[in-house]
Amino acid sequence: MTSHEEQHSCDNNQPATTPCGRPLQESNGGLDRRALLVGGGAAALGLTAWAGVRHWLHRPEPVFVAKNQSYDGDLRRTIRDGLLATGVTPSNVGGRRVLLKPNMVEPDRHSPHITTNPAVLLAAAEVFIEWGAQVTVGEAPGHVRDTDMALVESGIADALRDGRLPFADLNYDDVGWRENAGHVSRLAGFFFPQSVLQADLVVSMPKLKTHHWVGMTASMKNLYGTLPGIKYGWPKNVLHYAGIPKTVVDITASLPKTIAIIDAIQCMEGDGPIMGTPKDLGAIVIGRNTVAVDATCARMMRIEPIDLPYLSLAEGRLGSVSAQSIDQRGDDWHDLATRFELIDAPHLRSIRRT
Amino acid sequence: MSKTSNHEWKTVALDSLAQRPRCGYKPDGAVCAEPTAMAALALAAHDRPDPAAEAVKQLAQMQQPDGAVGVSIEQNEPVWPTGLAVIAWQVCGAGDDGLNRFQSQIDRAIAKILEVKGQTLQPSDVLGHDVTLQAWPWVQGTHSWIEPTTYQVLALKLSGLSDHPRCREAVDLLIDRLLPDGGCNYGNTFVLGNKLRPHLQPSGLALLALRGESDDSGRLAKTVDYVRDQLSPQTTPLSLSFALLGLAAQGVDVPAEEWLAAAYRANPSTRTSPYKSAMLLLAAARDRCPLTQGNQQEASA
Repeated sequence: MTSHEEQHSCDNNQPATTPCGRPLQESNGGLDRRALLVGGGAAALGLTAWAGVRHWLHRPEPVFVAKNQSYDGDLRRTIRDGLLATGVTPSNVGGRRVLLKPNMVEPDRHSPHITTNPAVLLAAAEVFIEWGAQVTVGEAPGHVRDTDMALVESGIADALRDGRLPFADLNYDDVGWRENAGHVSRLAGFFFPQSVLQADLVVSMPKLKTHHWVGMTASMKNLYGTLPGIKYGWPKNVLHYAGIPKTVVDITASLPKTIAIIDAIQCMEGDGPIMGTPKDLGAIVIGRNTVAVDATCARMMRIEPIDLPYLSLAEGRLGSVSAQSIDQRGDDWHDLATRFELIDAPHLRSIRRT
Repeated sequence: MSKTSNHEWKTVALDSLAQRPRCGYKPDGAVCAEPTAMAALALAAHDRPDPAAEAVKQLAQMQQPDGAVGVSIEQNEPVWPTGLAVIAWQVCGAGDDGLNRFQSQIDRAIAKILEVKGQTLQPSDVLGHDVTLQAWPWVQGTHSWIEPTTYQVLALKLSGLSDHPRCREAVDLLIDRLLPDGGCNYGNTFVLGNKLRPHLQPSGLALLALRGESDDSGRLAKTVDYVRDQLSPQTTPLSLSFALLGLAAQGVDVPAEEWLAAAYRANPSTRTSPYKSAMLLLAAARDRCPLTQGNQQEASA
């Protein structure tokens, strides 16, 4: 049995290329770039081969942006287009177990800008089901123990019913231990719900919001909600003590293959992720690399991505935030860029606004 | 909905719970301490002593040498359910001779509870609550929060330790974490100057643990009002259960038999969840639940 003390037992601040022995497979059978970046598979390759791999590693990551989106529009088509544009196809999700992970942190039916809109979730589910995937919706709301209340208040209960979608309450799932593949925080590993560990693909589906502690929350911070409350509490204070930016990177690195579909239609600015105000952007953002997706979202909010501590830590480990490393597809994010207000707090003042 | 059907759901739920009193959050999940403790309390409250005894034996089997009870048979940590195990042992272990057959387990668990403390913080303008109070955390080495604190407070009170300094300090924390207009969030009051939203489930729990306490600030009375006002036929099972238990502990009874029956029937995930079923059953027996009415041991403390 792995105790919590063991979880905290060592400080694993290792270089990003330290082998962790956890190869990640893309659904088409090839190693993905993150697997090489965090898994250190490159260390086993010969120098000659490494030159070729390095070129491949620096291929720009596709990120799809769709503007002029609305919750009553044809989101299924948008999401299908975005997935195809970023290389996610029926052939590599068909027959696979796909876990859709919305954000239901602390819902309030009078503040729908807190949580992922059910229309986006339902549209994504329909696309994956159409492509032959076995879809489950899963979430471990971070602040509330009554998950039924979270489902009702967020409107996601209706989406589950309408789409006949199974729901995995990740706060109360049986758990399994996985080594910390990110090696940034002092945590030796994570207890993930079995529903997460058994997924072939985790789809992070957050609401795009400013965040009063780390500046922005998008696809990577949303993954806090893959950890079970019975092990980490409500809130998941263990992660706060280990450092939010560090644990965001570590959780992302330690999960099964993860992609992102961002609800950036009605967003939140100011005192996010709960108490902020609505901010309309009208966008859907999709990508296979969560770092590239979050960097694009930051630029749309007129935030310098590298100034967000978790993206700074992820840079070179899980991907790259540089514009040259991102292959922009769909609509141009520049057309959407608008200033999202951050709270005026000392810990956020170093974040440059573009 | 007829009174007969309102009664029938309890029989169905009790029969199901009695078949597997060693239970988890899900029907096919690992045996966990919290659902098993709640099952013991619900079965005992509805005069099903045999399966209740089986549940509390399970909790004894899960107790570790240092007195702690972890979250499940597979996970010894964190140990926040320790207070729940004490509550179940106190309620279900009392014998006719006045002795509790789980007294040694209770003693070791209480020692563990008193050993665990929440991490305090340096006071600042960032958080609106008193960060210097220790109370109890979800996970050792982190800050204190409302829910784990309520469970340990209830355990201490039922064990005759209401006047223990740790219990008194924790009561102070629970009152401090009540929002100015009543109710409480999962644990914070103000963050970076913004007041957080109250929720029914933690508010009900706070009312339960604050039974018999006084509060000059008026926030306790406002919390009673908040919980009573927010309850509706649409309230989800766990929020409904804790809200009714909390109100009952404060001497307020809301007729909610139809709501409980409807909550049980509304969603298959409720009917198949031992934890949710146990909570609804416990709320249905709130007029004779030791958590809401106290017991001899507490009264003599």
